Amino acid sequence: MSIGAAAARDFERVLGPENVISDPPRLRSYECDGLTGYRVVPALVLLPRTAEQVAASVRVCAARGIPFVARGAGTGLSGGALPVADGVVISLQRLRRVLEVDPVDRRAVLEPGVTNLDITRAAAPYGLYYAPDPSSQQVCTIGGNVAENSGGAHCLKYGFTTNHVLALEVVLADGSVVTLGGDTGEQLGPDLRGVFVGSEGTVGIATKITVRLLRTPETVRTLLADFGSIEAAGEVVSDIVAAGIVPAAVEMMDTLAIEAAEEAVHAGYTRGVPAALVVELDGPAEECDEQFERVRAICDKHGCTRLHVAGDTEERAAIWRGRKSAFAAVGRISPDYFVQDGVVPRTRLAEVLGRIAAMGSDAGLRVANVFHAGDGNLHPLVLYDAAAGETERAETLSGQIAELCVELGGSLSGEHGIGTDKACSMPKMFSEVDLAVMGRVRSAFDPAGLCNPGKLLPTPRLCGERPGPFRVHPLEEAGVIERL
Amino acid sequence: MTSHTDTPTTTLRPADLAEAAAALADTTGRVLIRGAGTAADWAGQPEPPDLVLATAALSGVRAHNPADMTVEVWAGTPLRELNRVLAEHGQRVALDPARVALGATVGGLVATADSGPGALVFGSARDLVIGATVVLADGTVARTGGHVIKNVAGYDLAKLVHGCYGTLALLAQVVLRLHPLPEASVTVRLTGPLTDAAEAAGRVLASPLEPVALEWSDGGLLLRLDGGAAAVDARTRRLANLLGLGAVRLSAAEADDAWDEHAALVGDRPATGTAVLRVGARPSRLPGLLGELTAELGASRVTAGLATGVGTVTLPVDAVARAHQLIHRVGGTSVLRARPAGATAPGWGPAPSAIAVLRAVRDELDPSGRLGAGRFAPWL
Repeated sequence: MSIGAAAARDFERVLGPENVISDPPRLRSYECDGLTGYRVVPALVLLPRTAEQVAASVRVCAARGIPFVARGAGTGLSGGALPVADGVVISLQRLRRVLEVDPVDRRAVLEPGVTNLDITRAAAPYGLYYAPDPSSQQVCTIGGNVAENSGGAHCLKYGFTTNHVLALEVVLADGSVVTLGGDTGEQLGPDLRGVFVGSEGTVGIATKITVRLLRTPETVRTLLADFGSIEAAGEVVSDIVAAGIVPAAVEMMDTLAIEAAEEAVHAGYTRGVPAALVVELDGPAEECDEQFERVRAICDKHGCTRLHVAGDTEERAAIWRGRKSAFAAVGRISPDYFVQDGVVPRTRLAEVLGRIAAMGSDAGLRVANVFHAGDGNLHPLVLYDAAAGETERAETLSGQIAELCVELGGSLSGEHGIGTDKACSMPKMFSEVDLAVMGRVRSAFDPAGLCNPGKLLPTPRLCGERPGPFRVHPLEEAGVIERL
Repeated sequence: MTSHTDTPTTTLRPADLAEAAAALADTTGRVLIRGAGTAADWAGQPEPPDLVLATAALSGVRAHNPADMTVEVWAGTPLRELNRVLAEHGQRVALDPARVALGATVGGLVATADSGPGALVFGSARDLVIGATVVLADGTVARTGGHVIKNVAGYDLAKLVHGCYGTLALLAQVVLRLHPLPEASVTVRLTGPLTDAAEAAGRVLASPLEPVALEWSDGGLLLRLDGGAAAVDARTRRLANLLGLGAVRLSAAEADDAWDEHAALVGDRPATGTAVLRVGARPSRLPGLLGELTAELGASRVTAGLATGVGTVTLPVDAVARAHQLIHRVGGTSVLRARPAGATAPGWGPAPSAIAVLRAVRDELDPSGRLGAGRFAPWL
């Protein structure tokens, strides 16, 4: 689709012709993010190099009423960076300077295209690191992390992106530039920085991000423990929490997820066991050692069948390689898969996993589970074969799992975001009024609705004309349109 | 719901969500939301209200899930009382502003973006609130977040009420994440001036000892370590070695007194003719800034969070405007706390760059600006 030659010329004037992509083959590489089931080719892709160019590009969009979608590394799993056909994608990949690392005040100032891991790399010489660690941290960008309020395995103890961002320089939908937050956690008036973080690119584009850095913990202890059942592993997590221990991370994998991970990276997990638990503690040596012994005792008490303590950083890295590769590794045991991201109160883990297993067996599909057990954030992987015509069944099951999490008192998404993927499920979690109020907040930032439209909040176009719980679009049911 | 019309201002005390919604839907005019009244004269001077909406009857625990470490409460619940209940389960809301001891409510602490020394590790209320029910100026009831700690679904409206000072919306219900009470807690005091304390704080922060609070006040640096009993003992010895001569491990009673004194400097009513200002600045700039406020404007009763960058000072009322300017000049934040009766000290310094967004949000959620009018004067 085209947005007109005059608009294209405006963008070229702002960015230089070489930084405006318009040829279809190159445009296609921006047609989706990590949620590859949804694809839209944008009219143009813009490649600004500076914050000023981002603002100037947005001003062109504002003047001409052109929708825009900001994009980092495109690793998002909810279709949050899905382009708009008659709009532009603004890629932040060329804004990738680490502007400042301040070891005294323990903070870093970053352009949005800096990768998550590069923040820690820049901080490491000072004995500091950036805490949120999504599994995609080698490639995902801090701008995307801010948009999605990304978490990661260690957010149980250390919190999410929102807890680590001090200040944001933001280009608003009218092209104006403001700063949200400031030099400390203190704020002048309502916490707009907190509203921005996790707004999925719908209220502006962050062009400069100040994050807190933490001191690298003195000690890290990691163990991998096998259990005869998910329930037993779940009880271990409960007992750890009841003991007043806040581990840095508690991760669980089931048989299928372990099989996939071992197939891919040979990380030393035990094939065939019903549940494996990764528990990591960090902090001052004395605290860590004391708690570690208690965690070991809790594992033994619940019939741990094998307990492997990482003896050195290499072994620790192997355990995490197994865990963090689980998503991609599932490709080894299934041609296609959907990832879900629902959250349940931790005490309902066993219940929800039982129901997911039953739903999977009813649908005739396998579901692998790898999840953040400490905070109840599930990542069920619905395995299917598109070539065998299983896509629709898998997508339905996947959506049902997310909605089941809401029924059990949880959330549709713990860290991947709502994006395009779950926008139509939002009425399961929030009332029409709740969503309308969120819509009013969005309008305050972006009255013209140009900033990443169609994401996060359900729209009639995406979800059918009638408000209320998500139903298949009537035209979809009739086979006139399809959800790609 | 009871109402009192014996004064020109009506006071409504809704006791549930429906009454809270009706209190706003069925009325017009300016509304002042009042919790325990511990921050009644903070920030901008409220314009005389037509209606006082008291949250005292919106009080109590709605659901405590110890195993999930979450609690849902009515916003009018005093945090002190909530923490007393939670302590029976070995848990707490890890929020420790000075005025908690004065009976401040959960809603009031959120609405004023308050925090105490523990913000070093636990952040402020924004970092602990995981869900909320708010009532807009027209009586619209909206929910945000949920009951799970990890949740990114939808806009986080709780962030909008954090620091809203009774504008934008009434906070009716709050879901909070909880932390375990530490098995042991030890405070070490190092006597010395602010500049020496800042140097010592730098060494502690570069060490792996992970203090949960690090505050200078009244000629001494207070450092607190939380953790397991034996481990905290060992860490305390390491801390004392690191700090060198002059570092003293306080007994439990001494530690309580020391922190009470710190809280008094932050939270006591100021003497006639003076006002309290809360200051935020990049931690490395804070000692110099506080020194400047002391030398040039006669600031006293200084507290300094040397890692959080948050401090408080008591100033002559007529120095407040100048203090806002000085703090702003180094990129800091300032807000007036405790305005003496009749004084006209400005609540805020220069407006933040996002003031247009703030106005737009206010216009969307409270188009007539009836909630908390004056709190952000002269910006809003």
